[in-house]
Amino acid sequence: MSVSENISTIETPKKGKIKTFFSLLWSDQFAFFAAVFLILVLTSVIFGPMLLDYDAGRQNLRGRNAAPFDFTRGWMWFLGGDQLGRPLLARVLVAAQNTIFVAGGAVMISMTIGSVLGVIAGNSRGRLGQFIPRIADVIMSFPSLLLAVIVLYMLEPSVSNIIIVLAITRIPVYLRTARAEILEIRERMFIQAAIVMGASKFRIIFRHMMPMLLPTLLTVATLDFAFVMLAESSLSFLGIGIQPPDITWGLMVSQGRPYLTTAWWLSFWPGLAIIFTTLSLNLISNWIRIALDPQQRWRLEIESKKND
Amino acid sequence: MNKFILKRALASLVSLLFLVVAVFFLSRLTGDPTDLYLPVDASLASREQFRKIHGLDQPLMVQFFNYVRDLAVLDFGESIRRARPALDVVLEAFKWTLQLALITLFLVTLAAIIFGSLAAFRVGGMFDRFATFFSLIGASAPDFWLAIVAIVVFSVGLGWVPTSGTGTMMHWILPVTILFIRPFGLILQVVRSSMITALSAAYIKTARAKGAKAKSIIFIHALRNALLPIITVIGDQAAGMLNGAVIVETIFGFPGVGKLMIDSILQRDFSVVLASIMVTAFVIFLMNILIDLLYAVLDPRIRY
Amino acid sequence: MKKFKSLLLLSAFSMAAISGGSAFAADTDITIVLSEELDLIEPCMASQSNIGRVVLQNISETLAVLNPENGELKPRLALSWQDMGNGKWRYKLRDGVKFSDGTTFDAKDVKHSLDRTLSEDIACELKARYFGGMELKADIVDDLTIDFTAVPAQPILPLLISALTIVPEETPIKFTREPIGTGPYVLSAWNVGQNIILDRRDDYWGAKPEVSKATYLFRSDAAVRAAMVQTGEADIVPQISEELATNAKTDFAYPNSETTYLRLDHFIEPLGDIRVRKALNMAVDREAFLGTLVPKEAIIATHMVPPSTLGWLKDLKPLAFDVKAAKALVDEARADGVNVDEEIILIGRTANFPHATEINEALTQMFNDVGLNVKLQMREVGEWIDFYSKPFAEDRGPRMVTAQHDNSRGDPVFSMVWKYSCDGGQSGLCDKELDGLISKASAAAGDERAALWGPVFKRVHEDLVADIFLFHMVGFTRVSERLNYTPSISTNSELPLEEISFK
Repeated sequence: MSVSENISTIETPKKGKIKTFFSLLWSDQFAFFAAVFLILVLTSVIFGPMLLDYDAGRQNLRGRNAAPFDFTRGWMWFLGGDQLGRPLLARVLVAAQNTIFVAGGAVMISMTIGSVLGVIAGNSRGRLGQFIPRIADVIMSFPSLLLAVIVLYMLEPSVSNIIIVLAITRIPVYLRTARAEILEIRERMFIQAAIVMGASKFRIIFRHMMPMLLPTLLTVATLDFAFVMLAESSLSFLGIGIQPPDITWGLMVSQGRPYLTTAWWLSFWPGLAIIFTTLSLNLISNWIRIALDPQQRWRLEIESKKND
Repeated sequence: MNKFILKRALASLVSLLFLVVAVFFLSRLTGDPTDLYLPVDASLASREQFRKIHGLDQPLMVQFFNYVRDLAVLDFGESIRRARPALDVVLEAFKWTLQLALITLFLVTLAAIIFGSLAAFRVGGMFDRFATFFSLIGASAPDFWLAIVAIVVFSVGLGWVPTSGTGTMMHWILPVTILFIRPFGLILQVVRSSMITALSAAYIKTARAKGAKAKSIIFIHALRNALLPIITVIGDQAAGMLNGAVIVETIFGFPGVGKLMIDSILQRDFSVVLASIMVTAFVIFLMNILIDLLYAVLDPRIRY
Repeated sequence: MKKFKSLLLLSAFSMAAISGGSAFAADTDITIVLSEELDLIEPCMASQSNIGRVVLQNISETLAVLNPENGELKPRLALSWQDMGNGKWRYKLRDGVKFSDGTTFDAKDVKHSLDRTLSEDIACELKARYFGGMELKADIVDDLTIDFTAVPAQPILPLLISALTIVPEETPIKFTREPIGTGPYVLSAWNVGQNIILDRRDDYWGAKPEVSKATYLFRSDAAVRAAMVQTGEADIVPQISEELATNAKTDFAYPNSETTYLRLDHFIEPLGDIRVRKALNMAVDREAFLGTLVPKEAIIATHMVPPSTLGWLKDLKPLAFDVKAAKALVDEARADGVNVDEEIILIGRTANFPHATEINEALTQMFNDVGLNVKLQMREVGEWIDFYSKPFAEDRGPRMVTAQHDNSRGDPVFSMVWKYSCDGGQSGLCDKELDGLISKASAAAGDERAALWGPVFKRVHEDLVADIFLFHMVGFTRVSERLNYTPSISTNSELPLEEISFK
């Protein structure tokens, strides 16, 4: 009998699953608004480029850097215009797609590869346990910019290639985190007990280790989301990342940089979008962690009872 | 333990060599530096002369052989751009990077552990919300944006600190502050989350129930248990800083290794790229060995 | 002695640390902020603008100095020169000049300077830029007389020689880090990564300049550079961006001798068709750029060279912006079977000039508006140059390359040969008639030379519509209000401290 099996017997739901979900979400209002914001982002990821591509791309040199909060020109100009006279609101919405693809893709790929390697390394006392961490060493010391120049020099600069570059550079973070956690977890009593009782390696990893490992990985991943968005921004700034006519929030931020003192809104809105996305992801991931962790869940349940 | 260190050192040396070989050949895939150094209207003869002077006319394998041969006697080659030994160029810059990284890391670690633990003590409390909120904003704000706003406000507006440069103590305040923000948010989050896990462990809960007297002991115990992932993250952040803080260096005119590396990559100054990778990699490998040792010290159950 | 010096430095440093800056500096000390650190302080690399700004006419002098506004040469270390025929020129040198190391300047130094610049053992940029494609030698006549002979004969040899920086004959033939020159200043400290300090010499042969000491700092961010004049940390900032140049008292625009243009590849359809090239030219609303993405002081270009250049034709007019007419031309070409729907790649270089990316984005839309299919690709310099310079890839599609060309030397030969002759390294065309015109003009001298360049410009701009010229650009310099200094077209390549005085 393991700890996690214990839990599944405890949490037999009384209410419907969906209802429980919403009441747990509502009990953490921050998380609730975060979820709403993320849904908005996802909506623009899916529909943004479809609906607004023309407006976001149409330039007007003589009407550049239009100030925000000007109600006379329609909702699209609410956030102002950019350095080529394009409406910023439309551009922020359209750019969501590439941004989320790049950040999400890079984080997902690096997290998967990194944690698989980290779990293997952590569980192996032999050669692999020695060898895999050295891969992390090598990647960590390999300058990400050089990697970007090499990959983008040989392949075309495109969204998918940027994902490759960023994913490779972020692998060590997950690898090392997973390995460090596993090194500690595998010495715990219940794992030792499971081994003695003859549980298979596979079962130990997935039933016993993963639930303990995931919260940390999730924290790192959500924070990494911001890191990747900003890294992509600096790559564009240095001339080796995504380049116009493609747009991402990071690119918009770096292109707005010369105007920081004269037209702050150029880099402010996409910057704000990055900050809000990270913040929301984090609040949600905190919430998920608490909601899934049997030892923490009472915090939400107390709140939701108060609300009932 | 000694056997472990020896094994690790050997393994790291092999990784370092692998890194050198990889960087040597991969960086040469990015093109010939000749066109970048000579004016676009340089004649074919001057191009050939340039290639000959810098040994670029020889087959790649010969170039590699020469490089390794020189490396064996610790000759890292010469910078094409600066016409001086690449290692000198790199060490000069690395000195600045190392100082900046150590100062910032020290402050970040201290602040993140204190604030993160405090936040974890009362999850969902006011302090926790505030700490989380602001650290996350800090971690996701574009740093060049913060840097320029800081200069406009604190140097131009208030005149408290110089805009940039390296002359005095005052010059360090802005770069360290800007460099501090992002890792602070990240490490604080990790401290918070591992402290929450550690504090909810059964034995800590019992200790906690016994009364407030034990609080400091709880703190130490929990922290000790939570320290592994924290150290890992600090290690990652340190590696990032040792590779140079490109934006901070660029904006504040700080002559560190980050900007040097970018410039050298874009200018295809291969010996400097290689030398800086070797210097930073050496320090990073050393740090990783220390971290692994630290794991074992902190948690005696861990064996390698 | 060295110990004492470093002790002094140390105490000066700690005093500066306490006082927090330049409180102890003399009133005639100035600070200049450059955009990037110098890799070398090497006189024979002075044609690189960041090196030239520190070295030229401050540390190292030349035999003559070009006045870029009228193209005249003014004597400096030489007193006079004359054409001896057959490519030989005789120079009389100034007497009583001393290098900063105390040695006397004479013909041997001039000969060594040339030999060193042309040497096979170091890659001097002066050689690659000005002395390629000719045999050049110096013969000493006496201590203060020297002959230069070029094969083939160079009608503009004095102009070429005016780029040569003079070093003492003891200078070794490898890149130096301690340049010695005859100039009014001497390099007294180079703290790599931090600053370069020049001090005024007492034994300079000419008039004593007002500036006693110049400290050069390096900041790559334009906003920071500009802020440093505001906070009093700096006196001159040669390059600030247009957005920042808002204060008429401190911020000056100056023509920087750069010309932006799009190089068209005539060898590939549809760019080989003159109607398509005309349509591309007419698609560009150049006026709309002025005062928006390009400073309003910039001049719409019809030449590859700035207006102060020899032979410049003021009656060449850019093709007027006309979307309708351009569309008609494209349709006409289509009707004749030209594949105008082929995707044309526009290749830009990131950070090539201020707003490079935005300008290219705007151009792309303008081209697409006249019915052509243009796609933008921004590349970093190392990749971009593969597209700009020959050899071009064999299996390439139609391409336009945005580039910026600098000719501050007053003669078109530095531009036209490489950009437009069949063998030119960046030439996108091969026209026999144009080749003939170029070589005829290059071989002529004096007024005849000026007259012969005219037809070359005309052929390029009107008959062939070879490229898309955009603008003769301007730069902005921020100067502290305590200084009297007005930047000029030469500020891009040099910054003589002797031109600066105090109010």
